[in-house]
Amino acid sequence: MDDYVITVLSNIAMISFIALSAYLLLITGEISFGQQAYFGLSAYAAGAATTMFALPIWAGILIGACVAGFVAMAVGALTLRLSGLYFSISTLAFAEMVRLILLIVQVQVEVDGEMVGPDGANGFHDIRWMFERNISLTEFMLFIYGLLALVLIALLLVERSRLGSVFRMLGSDDLLTEMQGLNTVRYRILAAGMAGAVAGVGGALYAHFTTYVEPQFFNVMLGVHALAYGLIGGLGTAFGPLIGVAIDVGFLEAVRFIQGYRMIVFGGLVAVLLIFMPRGILDEERVHRLKTLFSRWSHARAQGR
Amino acid sequence: MIDFVQNTVDGIMFGSSYALLAIGFTIVFGVMRRLNLAFGATIMLGAYAGTWLHVHHEVNLVVVALTTLACTVLAGIYVERLCFHAVRRDAALASMVSSFVIWMQLEEVAIHLLPERTYAFPSLFIAGSFEIGPLLFRGEQTTMLVLAAVMVGALHLLLQRTRYGLALRAICENPRAADYMGIDTPRVMLCAFALVSLIGGVAGYTILATDEQITPFFGLWATFKGLIAMMLGGMGSLPGAILGGLVLGVVEAHALWYLGNEYKDLSAYVLLFAMLVLRPGGFMGQRILGREELAFRRV
Repeated sequence: MDDYVITVLSNIAMISFIALSAYLLLITGEISFGQQAYFGLSAYAAGAATTMFALPIWAGILIGACVAGFVAMAVGALTLRLSGLYFSISTLAFAEMVRLILLIVQVQVEVDGEMVGPDGANGFHDIRWMFERNISLTEFMLFIYGLLALVLIALLLVERSRLGSVFRMLGSDDLLTEMQGLNTVRYRILAAGMAGAVAGVGGALYAHFTTYVEPQFFNVMLGVHALAYGLIGGLGTAFGPLIGVAIDVGFLEAVRFIQGYRMIVFGGLVAVLLIFMPRGILDEERVHRLKTLFSRWSHARAQGR
Repeated sequence: MIDFVQNTVDGIMFGSSYALLAIGFTIVFGVMRRLNLAFGATIMLGAYAGTWLHVHHEVNLVVVALTTLACTVLAGIYVERLCFHAVRRDAALASMVSSFVIWMQLEEVAIHLLPERTYAFPSLFIAGSFEIGPLLFRGEQTTMLVLAAVMVGALHLLLQRTRYGLALRAICENPRAADYMGIDTPRVMLCAFALVSLIGGVAGYTILATDEQITPFFGLWATFKGLIAMMLGGMGSLPGAILGGLVLGVVEAHALWYLGNEYKDLSAYVLLFAMLVLRPGGFMGQRILGREELAFRRV
């Protein structure tokens, strides 16, 4: 595989993390325009961990995810009483605050005779963990997909568990959820934290894959795209956002001849899709039907044997 | 001290255009209970069409202004039909995402129209600065303020004195009851979109004529300034949108003067976040209904 294909495939995987993060909040009924903030915070934190403090990459990813998760929980706690559009705009405001602050922050230290660290508007250069250890792009891509698979499995398990039911219940009616004797405050903050951490894993990987991050990358376009992926792919299962990412990034890269007109075509397609499928391709109803179909099929096979 | 007053005056002048953008958001939100993210992009497309005529055919100011307004209204109607009218009424989220992808679409159309980064935008000919005491009033900005005031006045008359205004207010109050009263809701909504695009077109035109240039970032900029101003004032409130726009303008002017350029946008977002956390309803909006009231409504 050439480097270009690897970069595209890796980008699909890394964007998938932020799409999953937005999806997790979507099923609890909250629309966040601001998941890119956690992606960016974690990219900076993880980058700082491996360059400025010479920690191994797993520590970087862990630190990045924790920073993102805890900040997300703090923001979640502050915005608890907001819902609907108010919540969406508050996440947008927070994410833009983070981006604009990162444009100002300059913390550089000297490591091996070179200055490394966040450099304001110039971004954060030389996160060279991967090159210093001679890890090829392909290996790193496999590492990214491994982590994505882990996160996906974790999310699928969560959806099957009681926690997943509570999240979906919050999404459909939080007053009723509270009447079931569930502590909605705790679950909301938990969902925010989990979503932040998932975005954080993606951000930490992104920083090490590209070796360079700048605040401009974490603008609101990234966040709204992440949100759109879940809604295009479908809100019925965690595979939905991945389908959304694959359609967007894959479609745009595959169809070269519409280059330059891609948003005109893609925008129109999605707008029409949303008229007929307002909750995405794999919405709750279709996922349920697929599941019944599958269980019937496997049942019939078991009996036939 | 004189700096402070001068900044405040400049802020109010520029804030008046934020107020117009915020009015655009607030009317659509009031009527539809949905957010139109493509608002800035429709204005941008209209302005690009006007600039295109100016660049390629050297037309005069009036034609540029009229083209800008006409194309903004057309783009607004397109957005309404595709993202709001056609999408199921209970799917507010789908509408919002749909308007977002259409934003991207319109932006690309605009960039195809004029592919370079910046273009000169014809400045307003009334421009002439004057001084009152130690204060300097820039001509274009004064024009902006006056235009905004006229627009708000006309809008007030339209909403309070005409049958159409009554229908629009009725839908804001209670859409279902308005339906029962025989109001043609889809038509009122379409007209509301056209009206809002017209207001947005005027705001966009005056802003660009003051800046004397247009860039592809204008759509994003207009959407966010309008959104922030609306949220500061309180969603769905007309006086709130005006107050929010003015406050935003004043805060930005002071942040720019005392802290520097990189703090200008930051100050706006910090203000917005603090407002949402401390007083989510904004300056003038309704208080967000408490849990008990929500439960009571449902019973």
